[in-house]
Amino acid sequence: MGRRRRRVDRVPRGGAGALPEAIAALSRSLPSAPSPEIFRRAKFDRPEAAPALWQLLFRVLSPLPADDASASPALEARARLVKSALCSRGYPRLALAQLPEDGSSGSRELLLALSWLLARGPLPEQLLAQDRVSLGDEMPVCQCEALARRGPSAPPVEAEGPVDIRFVQWLMGKLRFQWRQLASSQQEQCALLSKIHLYTRGCHSDRRLGHLSVAETEMLRDSEGSQRLLQALECENAHLEAALDWRCAQFVFWQWMDTVLDACPPDAPTAASQPPSQPRIPEHGAVELELVAQGLRALQEELREVTERRQEAWEAQIGGQGHGPEWSTARRALREAVDQELAALLQSWEQDRGPAQLHGSQPHGVHRLVRREDGASEDHDLQASEVIQALRSQEAHLEAVLHQLQGQCRQELARLAGALPDLIWILPPGR
Amino acid sequence: MSIVTVQLGQCGNQIGFEVFDALLHDSHNSQGLCSKRENEAYQASCKERFFSEEENGVPVARAVLIDMEPKVINQTLSKAAQSGRWKYGQHACFCQKQGSGNNWAYGYSVHGPKHEESIMNLIQKEVEKCDSLSGFFIIMSMAGGTGSGIGAFVTQNLQDQFSNSLKMNQIIWPYGTGEVIVQNYNSILTLSHLYRSSDALLVHENDTVHKICAKLMNIKQISFSDINQVLAHQLGSVFQPTYSAEGPFHYRRNPLGDLMENLVPHPEFKMLGIRNIPQMSEKSLAYSTFTWAGLLKHLRQMLISNAKMEEGIDWQVQPPLSGLPPLGKVSLNKELRFNTSIANLVILRGKDVQSADLEGFKDPALYTSWLQPVNAFNVWKTQRAFRKYEKSAALVSNSQFLIKPLDMIVGKAWNMFASKAYIHQYTKFGIEEEDFLASFTLLEQVVASYRNL
Repeated sequence: MGRRRRRVDRVPRGGAGALPEAIAALSRSLPSAPSPEIFRRAKFDRPEAAPALWQLLFRVLSPLPADDASASPALEARARLVKSALCSRGYPRLALAQLPEDGSSGSRELLLALSWLLARGPLPEQLLAQDRVSLGDEMPVCQCEALARRGPSAPPVEAEGPVDIRFVQWLMGKLRFQWRQLASSQQEQCALLSKIHLYTRGCHSDRRLGHLSVAETEMLRDSEGSQRLLQALECENAHLEAALDWRCAQFVFWQWMDTVLDACPPDAPTAASQPPSQPRIPEHGAVELELVAQGLRALQEELREVTERRQEAWEAQIGGQGHGPEWSTARRALREAVDQELAALLQSWEQDRGPAQLHGSQPHGVHRLVRREDGASEDHDLQASEVIQALRSQEAHLEAVLHQLQGQCRQELARLAGALPDLIWILPPGR
Repeated sequence: MSIVTVQLGQCGNQIGFEVFDALLHDSHNSQGLCSKRENEAYQASCKERFFSEEENGVPVARAVLIDMEPKVINQTLSKAAQSGRWKYGQHACFCQKQGSGNNWAYGYSVHGPKHEESIMNLIQKEVEKCDSLSGFFIIMSMAGGTGSGIGAFVTQNLQDQFSNSLKMNQIIWPYGTGEVIVQNYNSILTLSHLYRSSDALLVHENDTVHKICAKLMNIKQISFSDINQVLAHQLGSVFQPTYSAEGPFHYRRNPLGDLMENLVPHPEFKMLGIRNIPQMSEKSLAYSTFTWAGLLKHLRQMLISNAKMEEGIDWQVQPPLSGLPPLGKVSLNKELRFNTSIANLVILRGKDVQSADLEGFKDPALYTSWLQPVNAFNVWKTQRAFRKYEKSAALVSNSQFLIKPLDMIVGKAWNMFASKAYIHQYTKFGIEEEDFLASFTLLEQVVASYRNL
């Protein structure tokens, strides 16, 4: 232990107190701001630090909005979600997956997982962007974020016994009604938004905007609202400052993390499944890495020999029948079919990319919705008509895919119906 | 969210008037038996749904009136204006000089296409007055010419033009004794067309409502107005505000959407019926008290024995034992005329509503085997009393209740069709024999589907 502490002390730019400050900055910049003490305890794999770290990782990885505390599941469920979310992001250490889910141990593994997430990208900044207080009426113009934040998919549910088709149709109908309700409430929201924009025309101090947003209007109506907004902004500022401090001090943190990594036993070999994006591998891991690489090379060699032998055997086996005219016609037909399919795929890929290239790029991100009478726009502004056009082309594309899938289903149905000549098909009423 | 009502024909216009009058009368009822704040929220919710406010403060019904004869529309407009509480919009009616002569084909194929543009413009204007549109109530008779023919035509157009909005058709089922010789033809054409274009068919049987007037309301000389008031009462007891899942003071924003999601997601099962309890004249009401347990016990028995009203319930009918094999269940059903449900919605209004026990409706034996009570049963509540009833309950049910009358109408129409009686009156206006055959097929299918629950 003494050795490790000395290593920390030899920090070039830090000096005494640099590490506690770095860790404090990090914890302040993370959701629910865990105590810096948690990190110190996790280094020594103390069990009492585990629940706080599970919670922290859950908040970082959860697809749910942070303020929805009522929906927060039990510790076990949270631990499972953290495990599968990390796994789906390609986290390489197996030891994490084997941790008990009751939060009784494993704080060091959790610390490693957290630092892996930190090393992959600017985590505090991403979290800040997610929970940003927004004053304007912000609208996402693409689905990227929604798709990225979907989280791990739910496990398939096995039905007990056979399911009546009428029940499936019932559920399907329910989904349709819910979709229509969603569409009409979306429409309502747009209508009300437009009303607010019209009624508050000329009220905004910012000439470029001209009118108030919902949040701004709400603030005028209700003074408590502005207090809450002030608090939220102060909180966000504090997070921002902490993230800045962390940026400056993180070097010390990574050196300290090296000592944490030293302290834990080597993980089971998982080299083959390492994802492309990994944290920096510390120098003293190089020996182990070399060992792993050697093993890998040996395995590859073995694999190559096995495939060669099998290929030879296979060719010998089909050699006798592989030269007839039938064979070559079949092969030619197959190759043509493959070529055609490839050409079709290429073409559809080109088509997909077409509009995007035409307009520079598809609109992305979140934009503030502003009604402007004069129609003037600046460089970074996005015209509603552009978004609508992009959405229309997306819609057309999705519809084409749907038609194709429906065609496939129809063919499959026709095939099944062909197998049952006595069956009569009656169209369902409506819909 | 708002609902736009389309009143069609004599029947639709007369009922529409009673519905709006009942809704407004109830929401201004000072005897709501609840706090001032709650009453205000209730009123606001009702207004948003069914009325738009005009500048001088008089609520204007969100409605479009359509008829091919001016008489009934003029009566309806002036009755509303006389009420002083509410009125119809100034430019919300469409009428012509000549009716459809009880010929569905004339309404559907002649009047409909000819006036399509004017009618749809009128509806479009009414829709634009809503901040948010939940859907349409389309009130019409099933057996006549104008209401049913144009009604089917308009519903189809609404389906094309407002595909995301919900469409519920209030259909008035004709008297079994018959008013018009071709009523069965008109009925099957209406039903089959609506089955394709509407989301739900809420059926009101004239015979049933007539009996309610005679037996429960003690009315000696029953007029259409009496019948329509009972209908309006039933509709009001369903669609007046109720609490949403968030609890008291939060009223359900989109009851039409919630109702459809709960009751009619399956495209083959769209027939709904209403029962309500208690129902009596105001005079007797003053001398009666009710308990939730008593009301719900009766309502449940009305459901399973397919009684349309409180009087004359067959208490012998019991749910089949769930242990029996399906075949046993069927024969038992037939024997005791047990009414199997797909889905039910109970709406409770009044005092101590939170204490009402609804376990009796959550029995799996009440429902078809492929739907669990958790999916098939829902309840809406509000502490606020409806009209003068301290406690009242309504039940909207998707069940086998209509098999018999439907089967009878299809059978009678088929008999006439087989002898080709009166067919030329329809082919003359473009409704061909194939159209009839398609209607028969569809409705036979509906009957079979309900029978095989």
